[in-house]
Amino acid sequence: MSPKPVRSASPKPITIAKMSTPARRRLMRDFKRLQEDPPAGVSGAPTDNNIMLWNAVIFGPHDTPFEDGTFKLTVEFTEEYPNKPPTVRFVSKMFHPNVYADGSICLDILQNRWSPTYDASAILTSIQSLLHDPNPNSPANNEAAQLYRENRREYEKKVQSIVQESWTSDSEDEEEPDKKS
Amino acid sequence: MAEAFNFDPDKNYDEATMEQQRNIEKEISANQALVSFQIDFDTVSADYSKEDETYLGKIQDLKIKYKCVRRTRGDGNCFYRAFGFAYLEQLLTNQVDYARFKEVATRSKDELVSLGFPQFTIEDFHDTFMDVVEKVGTPCTTKELHETFNDQGISDYLVVYLRLLVSGYLQKKADFYQNFIEGGRSVKEFCNQEVEPMGKESDHLQVMALTSALGVAVRVVYMDRGESGQCNHHDFPEESSPSVYLLYRPGHYDILYS
Repeated sequence: MSPKPVRSASPKPITIAKMSTPARRRLMRDFKRLQEDPPAGVSGAPTDNNIMLWNAVIFGPHDTPFEDGTFKLTVEFTEEYPNKPPTVRFVSKMFHPNVYADGSICLDILQNRWSPTYDASAILTSIQSLLHDPNPNSPANNEAAQLYRENRREYEKKVQSIVQESWTSDSEDEEEPDKKS
Repeated sequence: MAEAFNFDPDKNYDEATMEQQRNIEKEISANQALVSFQIDFDTVSADYSKEDETYLGKIQDLKIKYKCVRRTRGDGNCFYRAFGFAYLEQLLTNQVDYARFKEVATRSKDELVSLGFPQFTIEDFHDTFMDVVEKVGTPCTTKELHETFNDQGISDYLVVYLRLLVSGYLQKKADFYQNFIEGGRSVKEFCNQEVEPMGKESDHLQVMALTSALGVAVRVVYMDRGESGQCNHHDFPEESSPSVYLLYRPGHYDILYS
């Protein structure tokens, strides 16, 4: 079984709110750059009608238990972006020492080490590298952290099951505001 | 009575902390301008109780030497914002230094990129920074500059760029600055933790770096609990003739006018 192709960056033009703010301008630039110079293994695009809310996909990195997984995330920016980090959450089920049960992520650059020099592309690639390089010292999921430290085989088995789930859960996921009513 | 705290291992406490932090920030921003109008020292005295003789005495001392103050918002960015406003305000009427500064500012982007900063995002901040520098060179009034610095979006971009300049300068001179960094951190780690993130307060090191990076001399006047009755000051770099005057009260910088 191979992973289903994932809807990538939508080619439709994005509606820009009338009042352009630095955050919105910057997000347009971030999106343009993601399209022109896409980093390997990640993709992301604003949702229709809302440049502040993005859908993203991270492909599990090669040579890791996450390989072949297609993990969906939401990235929610505020008007303070890029001075403040966005809120990033896995929508797909995740089993990882630094991901909470609700999908939110414990990653220093999304919290106290955020730098305004990061852009959407850097955020997604940092999360991708967190997948194969967990930090068991700041666990968000105790079971995952413990298995990662003490029973790597069991850890990998659990990860593989969420990898498989990541392919199938895609089909029910049509609640995105894609369709114009 | 407070409820007993039950640790929930599945709960993301980082987000709760950040939410609380955001609420504090909101309250501050509702009450303080990013950069205030000029105010006199009697208004500053009102910050203190009548019994606070140490501070009130020091305000009298300031009153002799300086004309007035502009407050900046206490959001952790006050040093950068105070410096930025005070210096650009000066450049409104100093064409010689303006030309010098514009060149330094223009060049700075390539320097940062050559130090390894990501070009794409640096450009974004640099463009906005240069827009404001350009504006200062066209006939621009203090009022317009003041409005620009109170436009949160632009104002914060200026702060970010000044932070990046500090980070770049510290990293460029890492051999020297390493000696001042505590906690066994590298200069790069220090910059990632203490310089680049918005809202991180500035210490001597950041003041030294920014004044050196831009070639601008600053006098910091300290108003603390020291018993001398007078405010001490320190010039960055030492023995320079300062063009920007900042008032430091523990944890906060405002602008002074002589």
